[in-house]
Amino acid sequence: MKKSARALAALLVAGLSLTACGSSGDSGSGAGSGGSADAPGAQALDQASGVTTVEFWHSMTGKNADVLNGLVSQFNAAHQGRIEVKAQFQGKYDELVTKYKAAVQQKGTPALVQVYDIGTRFMIDSRQTVPAQAFADEDGYSLDDLDPNIRNYYSANGKLVSMPFNSSMPLLYLNTDAFKEAGLDPAQPPKDLNELADLAKKLTKKDADGKTVRYGFGAAVYGWFVEELIAESGTMYCDNDNGRSDKAGKVVFDSAQGAQIVQWWADLVKGGYAANTGRVTDDAQAAFKSGTVAMHLESTGVLRGYTEAAKFGVGTAPFPKVTAADQGGPAIGGASLWISGPGHSDAEKRAAWEFEKFLTGPEQQAAWHTGTGYFPVNKKSLDDPADKEWVAKYPQFQTAIDQLKATKPTPATAGCLLGVMPQARKGVETAIEQTIAGSKTAQQALSDAAKALQPAIESYNSSVG
Amino acid sequence: MPTAPHTARRSRWGEHGLAWAFLLPSLVVFALFIGYPLGRTIYLSGHANDLFGAPSRYVGAKHYTDLLSSADFGRTLVTTGLFTLLTVVPGVLGALVLVLLLENRIRGVRLLRSAFALPFAFSVASASVVFAVFFNPASGVLNGLLSHVGLGPVGWLTDSRYALVSVALTTVWMNLGYNVLVLSAGIASIPGEIVEAARIDGASGLRLSRSITVPMLGPNLFFLTVVSTVHALQSFGQIHILTKGGPDGSTRTLVYSVYEKAFAYNSSDFGTASAQAVVLLVVVLACTAVQFGVLERKVHYA
Repeated sequence: MKKSARALAALLVAGLSLTACGSSGDSGSGAGSGGSADAPGAQALDQASGVTTVEFWHSMTGKNADVLNGLVSQFNAAHQGRIEVKAQFQGKYDELVTKYKAAVQQKGTPALVQVYDIGTRFMIDSRQTVPAQAFADEDGYSLDDLDPNIRNYYSANGKLVSMPFNSSMPLLYLNTDAFKEAGLDPAQPPKDLNELADLAKKLTKKDADGKTVRYGFGAAVYGWFVEELIAESGTMYCDNDNGRSDKAGKVVFDSAQGAQIVQWWADLVKGGYAANTGRVTDDAQAAFKSGTVAMHLESTGVLRGYTEAAKFGVGTAPFPKVTAADQGGPAIGGASLWISGPGHSDAEKRAAWEFEKFLTGPEQQAAWHTGTGYFPVNKKSLDDPADKEWVAKYPQFQTAIDQLKATKPTPATAGCLLGVMPQARKGVETAIEQTIAGSKTAQQALSDAAKALQPAIESYNSSVG
Repeated sequence: MPTAPHTARRSRWGEHGLAWAFLLPSLVVFALFIGYPLGRTIYLSGHANDLFGAPSRYVGAKHYTDLLSSADFGRTLVTTGLFTLLTVVPGVLGALVLVLLLENRIRGVRLLRSAFALPFAFSVASASVVFAVFFNPASGVLNGLLSHVGLGPVGWLTDSRYALVSVALTTVWMNLGYNVLVLSAGIASIPGEIVEAARIDGASGLRLSRSITVPMLGPNLFFLTVVSTVHALQSFGQIHILTKGGPDGSTRTLVYSVYEKAFAYNSSDFGTASAQAVVLLVVVLACTAVQFGVLERKVHYA
C-alpha cells in the first residue's frame, strides 16, 4: 500500500513538471506555400458581393489604441456596406509576431497585420505578404508623400515592402530645471557622447552624506539606443550594407564605434554619473519623470506623457552623435502594416490596401501625430493646420521634425534588416550588462555577443533558403 | 456462503473491469494532457524548426549534444540549482521557525497564524509586482530604508550579483504562507498525549521542539521539501515579471530558458526548447527520486 502510494506521488510530481513543458508548440505543416505576390486591381472590390471583412491585428494600447480605433471607425463609416475593418489587439509587438507565426502554421493569418520595425526581415522572408509597392504600381499610386527616411527603412531593393504607419525616433530628453540649477544652458545640449559625459558629471548631484540625489544621465538598458547611436555614427550594424544590398550574413556591431558606445555607457554607470535602472523602460522613464535623472534617452512617443507628468521643464535635443564628426543620423523606429497574400481573396487584399491608403493620408497622419506623438509618415501632415497648432503648443516636438529632415537616407540610417534582429538586440543588452558589471570590456562583450548570434543567423538564413 | 468457482472467476473479472472503468476517465485525461505533450516534446526535441516554428527536418540528438557543449546552458543549470537551494531551504526552515514560535501561548496567536499564511492568497503576478515596487532602484522602499542607515543604493534587480537573491527572496515570501499552513496543520495533528507525556517527563521549550514536535512533523517537512523543490524548478512568473532572466542571464533558470528559446525574441526555436524541457523533466525526476530514496528513510510516520 505504502509502496504504491509512493509510486503515485512520484508520478504526480512528474506530471506537475510536465505541465511546464507541455505547450512547446503546435503541430502543423510548414506553411509558406508560395502565395501570389501580385496585387489585385480595384475591380476586385467591385466584383465582390456583400461586405468584405478585413481582420487587422495590431499592438497599440492606451491612448494610441483609442486614436487608432477612432480612425478605423471613420474608415468603416465611409465604406459602409462594402468594407469592414475589424481591429484586434494581439499583445505587444513580440507577442503579436509569435501569434502570427502560429497563425501561419494554422493557415489563419489576418488580412492586415502591424509588425514592428525589427520584424521587417522576417516578414519579407515569410513570403506571406503582398508588397505595398505592388499595389502602388498596379494603381499608379504615388508613394512620394511618404517621408523619404521612413520609406527608406521599409524598402528592400528599392521597393516598399510594407506601409509605414506609426514611426518614432529617439530623442535626448533634458530636465531643463536641473540644467539651470547646475548653471548650464539647456539651449546648449550635448551633441556627442563626450559632451554628454562631461555634462552628466556636472549634472550629478550628491547630498551632504555623499548620497547621489540626481544622476546626470539615465536610460533603459535597451538595445535600440545602441542601434540608433551606431546609425548616428554612420556605420553599420550588420553586413551587406545593413542587409539592404543583400541578406545580412553577420552582425558587425562589435565595431570600434559599437565598443565606444557601450564602454561609454558602462563608464558613466560605474563612475556614478548614470543611473542603471535595468532593461525595464518603465523604470527608466519613472527615474526621469521623478527628476532623479537629468538627461535621458527615449522615443518621441513618450514626449506627451513626459510634458504632462513632469514637475519640471522638459526639453528635447537631437539624439547625440558618437563623435562630433559623425555623418549619420537616427534610424526610424515603430511599426508598419503588411497585407497578407496566401489564403486571402483578392477583395480582402484590395480592401486592406484601401485601408492602408486611408491610414497614411495627410489628415489621418496629422490626427495620429497629434493624438499619439508618433511621427507622421506623410510629409504633408506637417502642413495640416491642426498639426501646426499642436507643434506650436509642444515646441519640443520640433526637434524630431528637424532631426528627421536633417538626416540623409543612407544604408546606415536605414537601420539593419536581419531575420533574428530581436535576438541581436537582446545580445547587445547582455553586452551592456556585462560591461557594467565589469566582467568584460565592451569590445569583448560585443564580440562575444556577435559570435553567440552567428548560429542563429545561419540557421535562420538556411531555413529561408 | 458457497460460491461456484466459475462465478468467482467471473466476479473477479468483473471487479477488474469495474476498476478499469473507474480508472478510465483519469487515464484518458492523463494520456491527453501528460502523455501526449510528453511524446510531442520528445518528438520536437529531435527536429529543427522552420521560420514559423513548425518542426522541419529530423536532427537526431543534435539539440541535446548542443546543450551539453553550451557554456550558457551549464550556467543555466547552475542558476537553477542555486535558485532551488535559495528558495527551498529558507522557505521550509523559515516556516518551521515561525510555526514553532507560534506554539507559544501568546496573545493574538490565531491572528498571527492567519497573517503568516496570508501570502498563500497572493497570486504570483501580484506578489511579483509588489516586490518590483520594493526593489525599484529609484523609488523603492528597500533602498529608501538602506539610505536611512547610510548604505548606498543596491541594484536589487539590476546588479547581476544580487538579482537571483532578490527573486529568491520574493519566492520565499510567496511560499511561506503555504508552508506555514501545512506545518500548522501538522502540529495540530500531533497526538496530545505524546506532548503531554513529554511535558510530564519535564520537556519544554527547545527540548520539546527538538525531540517531539520536529520529528513528528517529519512527513510534513518531507512533503514540503519535495513540493517546494518541484515548484522552485518550475518557477516562471516571478522571474518573468521581475528580471526576465537578466541582468546578464543571472536569473535565467531552466524553465525561463525554455520560454526564451520557444517564445521570446521571436526565436521560435521549439527544438532546443523541447530538449531543455526534457532535461528539466529528468532533473525533476532525479531530484524527486533522490528525495524519496534518501530523505524519506529518515521520516517517521506516526
